[in-house]
Amino acid sequence: MNAAQAGTQAARLDDGGRPDAVHPEIRLEGISLVYEADGSTVLALDDLYCRFAAGKVTAIIGPSGCGKSTMLQITRGFMQASRGTLSFIGADGAPMPRPPRMATVWQSFNLFPWRTVEDNVAFGLEMAGMPAAERRARAKEALRLVDLAGFERKYPGQLSGGMRQRVGMARALVMDPDVLLLDEPFGALDAQTRLVLQEQLAAMVERTGKTVLLITHSIEEAVLLADTVYVLTARPGRVAAEVRIDLPKPRSVASTHDPRYAGYFEQIYGLLKSEVLRSMHGEAGTG
Amino acid sequence: MQDRAPEGDVALRPVRTGVAPADRLTGWIAVAVVLLAWEGMCRLLEVSSLYLPRPTQIAVALYELFVHKQALTDLAVTLYRIFGGFAIGLVFGVALGLAMSVSRRLQSIADVFIAALYPLPKITLIPLLIIWLGTGGPFMLTISALGALFPVIINTLLGVRQCDQGLVMTARDLGASERQIVRHVLLPAAIPSVFAGARLGLGVSIILVVAAEMVVGKLGLGARLYLAGQVLETETVFAVLVVLAALGIVVTKGLDALDALAGKWRT
Repeated sequence: MNAAQAGTQAARLDDGGRPDAVHPEIRLEGISLVYEADGSTVLALDDLYCRFAAGKVTAIIGPSGCGKSTMLQITRGFMQASRGTLSFIGADGAPMPRPPRMATVWQSFNLFPWRTVEDNVAFGLEMAGMPAAERRARAKEALRLVDLAGFERKYPGQLSGGMRQRVGMARALVMDPDVLLLDEPFGALDAQTRLVLQEQLAAMVERTGKTVLLITHSIEEAVLLADTVYVLTARPGRVAAEVRIDLPKPRSVASTHDPRYAGYFEQIYGLLKSEVLRSMHGEAGTG
Repeated sequence: MQDRAPEGDVALRPVRTGVAPADRLTGWIAVAVVLLAWEGMCRLLEVSSLYLPRPTQIAVALYELFVHKQALTDLAVTLYRIFGGFAIGLVFGVALGLAMSVSRRLQSIADVFIAALYPLPKITLIPLLIIWLGTGGPFMLTISALGALFPVIINTLLGVRQCDQGLVMTARDLGASERQIVRHVLLPAAIPSVFAGARLGLGVSIILVVAAEMVVGKLGLGARLYLAGQVLETETVFAVLVVLAALGIVVTKGLDALDALAGKWRT
């Protein structure tokens, strides 16, 4: 995005943004990843087939070390798959010539500690060359949407974990990405903060209609936020099951009282349990 | 733990000021006691001022030095040499350190030279530099820059290496180019470490400039010190040492202030 482009698009963060916004479908077909470690080759992902529907939330859940985050890295283009294809399908049903705009929210927040909250949120806009006054206004608006108005001049070190992650969310959303990547975004937060943020995120994502990929190790989070949940196997990561979550939207903590919620939870837990046990045995065997 | 109230959090953190006022007073009293004892012993034992002048004699010499002997010029010249060279060393050091941290090839080349040159006492380079550059300004600036260069390079490298890789990835995710990552992530991440290097480097620059002035200088505090020693003006020797010590204090405190300013975010 160049500055002029950014300037003409009166991007509101909560209404789907730019007129030319495409929320693509993402397809991972036969993705495998092999890497070298200590002289031996490790198969991290094995022939993975996933489809992240346009404008929907897809959650990836699996035991630790199953390659969930690796999958996100490949989707983001930061890592090259050893085999398989990654494609982004536009609204016309054809593969997009260039990858869509993506932004990530990280488990460890990854805020720049030497920048103020405002300058953290404006980082991407600044890199794109947007004039200071405009990017400041955008950052302010984004911070207002995550209930952090008035914290613009604070440094990340002065904020609580929950507030830091809201800054992280504002920083990704201010870029108005077509695809939002969430890498265990609430994994480092306490249970109550996590619930509140999940609810806020659910509402925000719904309004924007972005294609969202959520990496998580929390079944509750996956069921609460996602339209589709992929359960991965223990290493090497393979798709164990695809679960469609048919709960009414907008979802909130109240959704957990829906009788179907318990059913989804049980189903995913059952799938995960055997994989977690398998990975534990695997560790016991090698360690 | 994660969701601490921010205000309480800030208030609980210790404030980063050095010594408490009471302790500082104790320090000054100790200095006064030592000076008084020195003065008293010298008078009592009638020590020759050729060996150990009394503090009052040193004070007079200090006054003479600045009022009648243009020591201000010497101080200015020495400061120029120290800080001019230091600034050159700092700029090159940070630039080289950053370049090495992003280019593996440059790092492997520079590593060998640094390994060879870093442990070498820079003072041993004085004869060679005099042969190459003479004894004028370029020589002084070079020796001073060399003093600062290596600690700054090494600490810049260290600072960049300690930078959280997550931040680099985040910057890339937000569309930063490689150049922007160096400028907006690696450099700021390395600043605390660069400061530590600058502190070490400035100390070396001061040593080298004064030493070089003692060897070849006609102007400068080092030259003044050496000449006073040659003609057995012991009070003047002490007076120059006092000036150098005061310079050290000012420089250290100045760097502390700069460091605090650059590290506001560490609150």
